[in-house]
Amino acid sequence: MGGFAKLGINLPLLISFIISFVILFALLGLFLYKPVMKMLDERSKRIKEGMEQAEATKEEYAHAEEEVKKLISKARDDGQALVNQATQTGERLREEAREGARKEAQVIVDRTRAELEGERDRIIDDLRREFVDISISAAEKVIMETLDKERHRKLIEEALEESATFREN
Amino acid sequence: MPKLGCATKIIVFSLVIILALFAVGFVFGPLGAGFFGIKVPSFLAVPKPHIALPSERLFEVAGFPITNTLIAAWLSIIVLAVLFYVCTRKMKLIPGKLQNLAEMAVEALLSFVKSVAGEKHARLLFPVVATIFIYVITNAYLALLPFFGTIVVTGQEGTAVPLFRSANTDINVPLSIAVMSFIFVEFWGMKSLGTFRYLGEFFNFGQIGRGVKELFMGKIRPAITNIAFGFINLFVGMLEIFSHLIRIISFTFRLFGNMTAGEMLLLVSAFLIPLIFTIPFYGLELLIGFIQALIFAGLTLVFGTIAVAPMHEE
Repeated sequence: MGGFAKLGINLPLLISFIISFVILFALLGLFLYKPVMKMLDERSKRIKEGMEQAEATKEEYAHAEEEVKKLISKARDDGQALVNQATQTGERLREEAREGARKEAQVIVDRTRAELEGERDRIIDDLRREFVDISISAAEKVIMETLDKERHRKLIEEALEESATFREN
Repeated sequence: MPKLGCATKIIVFSLVIILALFAVGFVFGPLGAGFFGIKVPSFLAVPKPHIALPSERLFEVAGFPITNTLIAAWLSIIVLAVLFYVCTRKMKLIPGKLQNLAEMAVEALLSFVKSVAGEKHARLLFPVVATIFIYVITNAYLALLPFFGTIVVTGQEGTAVPLFRSANTDINVPLSIAVMSFIFVEFWGMKSLGTFRYLGEFFNFGQIGRGVKELFMGKIRPAITNIAFGFINLFVGMLEIFSHLIRIISFTFRLFGNMTAGEMLLLVSAFLIPLIFTIPFYGLELLIGFIQALIFAGLTLVFGTIAVAPMHEE
């Protein structure tokens, strides 16, 4: 042990230093490593959480944007459909109106024509009757004799009928 | 004559003073005095450095000597404990200046441990490695303060001894750290590999056992091979044990030698050429203190990393 003693190696002293080291180890663990590690872990956890949250927000935002885009597109489609429908309805209404007007006009025309025809027939009848009367009175005047009026009329009617069929043919 | 600016004037003035101090120290100090044959002036007479390898006892408590190095080590411990207690007293998520200091120290050391041991074992190895680093560097740097070696008290033997002496220059300090390093390296190995598996690397009886079994089963040739290789394994295991024990010695003497030599260098340089000649050596000691702390902690870390890794793939 002589050489060791000269160097200063001393067992009680060595034990004191080992105990001192252990005390320092414990103190540093208590005052330095534990709190700082906890804080570092906490901070990295926070940062991770924050980043995850940011990621989630970004995703949500993208999702919302897509939703909005979809909504806008849907609204546009709806609008387009409405416009189309309105156009169609308008078209139909116009068509209906046109049709109605035409029908009305047709009705008026038909009625007018019927009236005209009726008028014409009446006029023709009138004329015919007038003509017959005139013819009779003329014949009376010519003959100066009152013939059997009924018979004359019949004769004339026949003659006229004949002429009418002749004319129609 | 060129016009001198204010800053230049200060620099030149300082240089002149430094040179003057150096010259006075050189000429009138013991070295110059001996060389030129002058008597050393009393204000420059530094007492001849008394160099003793064992630390000086101040008194004794229940058989345990209290030496000046032990007091210095306690001073380191108190300084560290108070410093880090103040730093981490109120931990906040957004650190203040003091907290930042503690976090910086821990993060730097932790990243150092991680770079060597890997993410998996870093938390296991970190506290011991960091403690070794902080302890060694604090011992070394505190020893550079002026009150080390200058406050003289009466020791146990009645001689005048300094109250504080650099703790690292007492061989018991490096030895105690080396023993702790050894204990922790073996502890890590046992913890991460399992006690029996870890010890099995050193006391490898497996192959001999197999050989003996084969001998009884009558397979002579493989039995002889296995027994022979088993003995080689045992021998290798003994070499391993030896190398682990040798580490303690190399740890101890590396730190002790460096620190003692640095202390002597400072003492001798301050004695031979008083006043300011010692300053560059203080810078050197700062560097050496850091390097020694790093080496001690780094080697412990490397040995620990080797211990926790499976040694032989079988």
